[in-house]
Amino acid sequence: MMEIGLNHYLVLSTILFTIGLVGVMRRKNLLLLFFATEILLNAVNVAFAAISHYYGDLTGQMFAFFVIAIAASELAVGLGLLILWHKRHGSIDLDTMTSMRG
Amino acid sequence: MEKYLYIALFAPLVSSLFAALFTATPKKQFVGIVASLLIFSAFVASTILLTHVLGGGEIVHVELMTWMETGNLYIPFGFVVDEISITMMMVVTLVSTIVHIYSIGYMDHDTGFNRFFSYLSAFVFSMMILVMSDNFAGLFIGWEGVGLCSWLLIGFWYHKESATWAANEAFIMNRVADLGMLIGIFLVFWNTGTLQYDGAFAAMANLDTETLTWIGIFLFIGAMGKSAQFPLHTWLADAMEGPTPVSALIHAATMVTAGVYLVVRSNELYALIPNVGLFIASLGAFVAIFAATMALVNRDIKRVIAYSTLSQLGYMFAAAGLGAYWVALFHLMAHAFFKALLFLGGGNVMHALSNELDPFKMGGLGKTMKGTMIMMTLASVALAGIFPLAGFFSKDLILEVAFVDHHFIIYTVLLLTAGLTAFYSFRIIALIFHGEDRHTALGFHPHEAYKFMLVAMSPLLILAIIAGFTFKMPYFEMVTQLLPATEYHVHSQVAYWIMTIGTQLFVIASIFFAYKKYMSPSIKVPDGTSKMENSFAYKLLINQYYIPYFYEEYLVKPYRELSTILWEKVDQKIVDATVDGIAGLIHATGENTRDMQSGNLSTMLKWMVAGTIVLLSLAVVFGLSVRYSGEITTILSGLGV
Amino acid sequence: MLDHILSILIFFPMVAGIFGFMVHKDSMRAYGVAVGVIEFSLSLWLWFAFDNNVSGMQFMEHLPLVPAFGINYILGVDGISLFIIILAAFFTMIGIASLPDTKDVKNMIITLLFLQMTMIGVFAALDAIVFYVFWELSLVPMLYIIGAWGGPRRIYASIKFFLYTFTGSLVMLVGMLFMAYFFYQATGTWSFAILDWYRLILPESFQLWLFAAFFVGFAIKVPMFPFHTWLPYAHGQAPTIGSVILAAILLKMGTYAFIRFSLPLFPDASVYFMYPIAIIAIIMIIYTAMVAYAQKDVKQVVAYSSVSHMGVIVLGTFALNVEGISGSVFLMLAHGVVSGALFLLVGVIYERRHTKMMDQFGGLAKVMPRYATIFGLMMMASVGMPLTINFVGEFLSLLGFYQQSHILTLLAGIAIIVGAIYMLAAYKKMFFGEVTIEENRNLPDVNKRELLALIPLAMITIWLGIYPKPVLGPINNSAEAVVQLMHNKATSEEAKLRIPNVSGVVISKTSMKEGH
Repeated sequence: MMEIGLNHYLVLSTILFTIGLVGVMRRKNLLLLFFATEILLNAVNVAFAAISHYYGDLTGQMFAFFVIAIAASELAVGLGLLILWHKRHGSIDLDTMTSMRG
Repeated sequence: MEKYLYIALFAPLVSSLFAALFTATPKKQFVGIVASLLIFSAFVASTILLTHVLGGGEIVHVELMTWMETGNLYIPFGFVVDEISITMMMVVTLVSTIVHIYSIGYMDHDTGFNRFFSYLSAFVFSMMILVMSDNFAGLFIGWEGVGLCSWLLIGFWYHKESATWAANEAFIMNRVADLGMLIGIFLVFWNTGTLQYDGAFAAMANLDTETLTWIGIFLFIGAMGKSAQFPLHTWLADAMEGPTPVSALIHAATMVTAGVYLVVRSNELYALIPNVGLFIASLGAFVAIFAATMALVNRDIKRVIAYSTLSQLGYMFAAAGLGAYWVALFHLMAHAFFKALLFLGGGNVMHALSNELDPFKMGGLGKTMKGTMIMMTLASVALAGIFPLAGFFSKDLILEVAFVDHHFIIYTVLLLTAGLTAFYSFRIIALIFHGEDRHTALGFHPHEAYKFMLVAMSPLLILAIIAGFTFKMPYFEMVTQLLPATEYHVHSQVAYWIMTIGTQLFVIASIFFAYKKYMSPSIKVPDGTSKMENSFAYKLLINQYYIPYFYEEYLVKPYRELSTILWEKVDQKIVDATVDGIAGLIHATGENTRDMQSGNLSTMLKWMVAGTIVLLSLAVVFGLSVRYSGEITTILSGLGV
Repeated sequence: MLDHILSILIFFPMVAGIFGFMVHKDSMRAYGVAVGVIEFSLSLWLWFAFDNNVSGMQFMEHLPLVPAFGINYILGVDGISLFIIILAAFFTMIGIASLPDTKDVKNMIITLLFLQMTMIGVFAALDAIVFYVFWELSLVPMLYIIGAWGGPRRIYASIKFFLYTFTGSLVMLVGMLFMAYFFYQATGTWSFAILDWYRLILPESFQLWLFAAFFVGFAIKVPMFPFHTWLPYAHGQAPTIGSVILAAILLKMGTYAFIRFSLPLFPDASVYFMYPIAIIAIIMIIYTAMVAYAQKDVKQVVAYSSVSHMGVIVLGTFALNVEGISGSVFLMLAHGVVSGALFLLVGVIYERRHTKMMDQFGGLAKVMPRYATIFGLMMMASVGMPLTINFVGEFLSLLGFYQQSHILTLLAGIAIIVGAIYMLAAYKKMFFGEVTIEENRNLPDVNKRELLALIPLAMITIWLGIYPKPVLGPINNSAEAVVQLMHNKATSEEAKLRIPNVSGVVISKTSMKEGH
């Protein structure tokens, strides 16, 4: 049986990232968009942790914690706004949010 | 002597400015009188200078002040009174004094009386600068100054469309020639380093012939404009729209002879380039006969006299071109007297018939206008060159010059022209003063001009009679101090007498022919039905060889159309449209790409992803190309890049 | 005070303009005239104190701004800039004095005072950055004047004016930065001082690029064909005072900059580009003169005639000899006076009839004789009649260029023909003939306030035409210095040959004068 190395983690990270990217591009629901963003961030976290382990340097793992913290706060603010929006408009469909149209 | 020089020069300016003070006020008789007195004082000062020069005094040369000074260029306001300029000064001041006095009567009923004197005196001032200047730049000041005054005076009755048109035509056509003159001046400066006559002519002796030829050609182009030589001649006939005293002063006696003066003044230059001289002479002979033929049929007395002027200018250029500068200058002087007289007489006739110009509508005026008739007849005799009047001495001399120099073609042309001159001069004399009375039927009640106008004209009459035999020798001795003193004598005495008497007989025969043809009672106002009027030759001549038509159709109109095309098509549709196009392109880019900013988060996220991918791929491409730069260079050099 | 006279000249109008906000509306005109008169007197004092025999910079001022990058506040005048400064002060003065009763006179006068600051700043600056700042600032008041007081299409015209010239200036700015960088490379210190740059000899290939960069900025400002199309719009829409200042002073910034920057900094490139630029100049002269002839609006005639005359100025500048350069500087002044006066004159009739179309006039010589006389004088000056101010400049410019090329000068000389054609045609349409339109029958002649502006201009036109020496002398000295500098700096054989060595010439001139 093959040993699981850095490359496997990176491939996993890439797959996760791609899923997230597709989600960001395809999803019309704001809530699902947040999910996709979380996947993106966690894809990076996987890569951070893996590379950090590979080099024996803890900086990467520290950074991953930062990312988790930021993701949490972002989600908190984002969900707050989302609820507000839903209360006001009754929908969280992205296609209806075009008031910033140039 | 300098004092008199300044008086001669600035009295006309004072006169002009004085009259200008009253331009806005109604007619004031004293304006005309003061102006005439001031011009007369210039005449007196010129006479004193003349006696000074005749008495062998040294040349009066003053430098008033610096005009332009920069780099190598130094141009002062310098004035010189030498044998050439004093001749011109005498002619100018004398004729202009007479014309000023005459105008008091002629412009009597005109509302622009004061303005007229202001312009007229300004003209005299410019002309004095032209002839007295000691350098080419000063000459050019006068040259343009007379052009300006000519414009003002031709267009004096500015409410008339024809007058203003003629004024603009004269100005613009002269400008064409002035460009040649200006280039000539530039050539003189860059080749001799100075514009002063003495310095420039002295330096010209060391220049190569090609340069000199160019200088000669360009200066002569300038002369062609002012002196209305072919092909720049059409303005002179149209200039007859101006008041008649103007025609007498500017378009007969003084301004148009400026070209001749220029050639005479530059005699040292033209002596070095005889080929150009020959061209000038040939052109002069051509213009002489060319203008004379147009005068044969014209039905406007002023235009006939104008063509006659043109023809006589041709004579002068023929003489000057052949190197007989003093002869040219002499004919210039004599011509000024009898031609001015002829014009002023014509003015009397016009005045008598409320500005009628067609001689066929006159006839028999001799009864009511005896004085004018005598003057005009004598002036015409002088013009025709009958012994012993002025024309005989000056004009026949030119024929002799051509003969002695073995230019027989020029001689023949000029001889033929002499016959034509006599014919057309007496054609209008006969039509105006003799024959049946045709004007009463048309409702004209002619009257003789004011006495003082006739008195004012009388000095010209006397000069036209005596200028030939009394002035010739003293004049010759004076002016040949400066000009080449070539005497022209036919070697064989017999040949001389045959020539002279032959010419006289030919001219007299022409006069009789003209009288016979145009005094007959059968003359009627032509109505375009007679056989002659429908002949090709007549049509050609009455339409001035279709040259004005040609200019209008092939120069003026295309210029106007091209201008419109340049503005509407090129400037707006191409040049400006390009600029607006570039601005529009930028605007359109923004307009089209603003859809990206749809406000839809999903679309914008897609663009963001696309941008990230592009940036990433660019980074990869550059990274690779840096890594493999060595190989890429090898491949490219292999491809020959 | 004399040590700082240039700073005073620049900033006095600005300070006065700021205080102007506090002045009451009714006394604003008097205030503006007073400021204009003081400023003009100061500029005359500058002339009085100016040493005519010195060809270099005088009244230099020096104040470090950003020493690390060699950006300093340096001012100075020589014979070339002196008279344009005086002209700017003069035109602002008579411009304010003859201002008709428009709306917001107060704002207009304040704008004019700010404009005056920028104009004088441009001509006095000897540091490229300071020059650039004033150069760009001058756009703002002008934008405001056209945009706020202009005709129906004023927004289009003012934005076009602003963006077009601004684009050109940016390219010029890049050129300036490169120039400073090259200076840094050569000497190890940063400097934007023009006099420092004069000492730098660049290789010809660098010169060509830098010349081109500067050229874009200057050519649009002049404006040279084919960059001229903003000008007719700007003139067509601008109020009279805007056109006057634009034609008299602002256009001169371009040609002045050619002499201040392009020629001494890049002598080889100047020689290299001499023929192409001369050909552009000739196109300007003939083409715009023909376009002027086709115009129906008299103001457009004058506007296009400006472009035509600027062509002669450019030609004189690129004659690269003393005669041509002093001629072109003189023609800048001459054209300022004459075209300024012509725009004022057009304004006079526009005030009365509210139209500028020539077919609406005709026979005005009878109704308004004094107006016709002054117009006629200015027209003749514009046509280049000797003994008027324009002739001296035109004659010298063409004479100068004749040394470089015969055939091109002959073509450029067509200016005197085509110039006469459109001017005389316009004059004929407006002033000659019978009065056909009823409204024209009782037009009042020029009034006192208009004469206040026109009479001095007419007097200058004749005075400097007859006796140009007081102005031509200092110009000549500075032009000689420029030419000598160029000759010394030129590296290529051809440039050495084309640009005369003045110092040799000066001796022969004095000997020539002794001969008289």
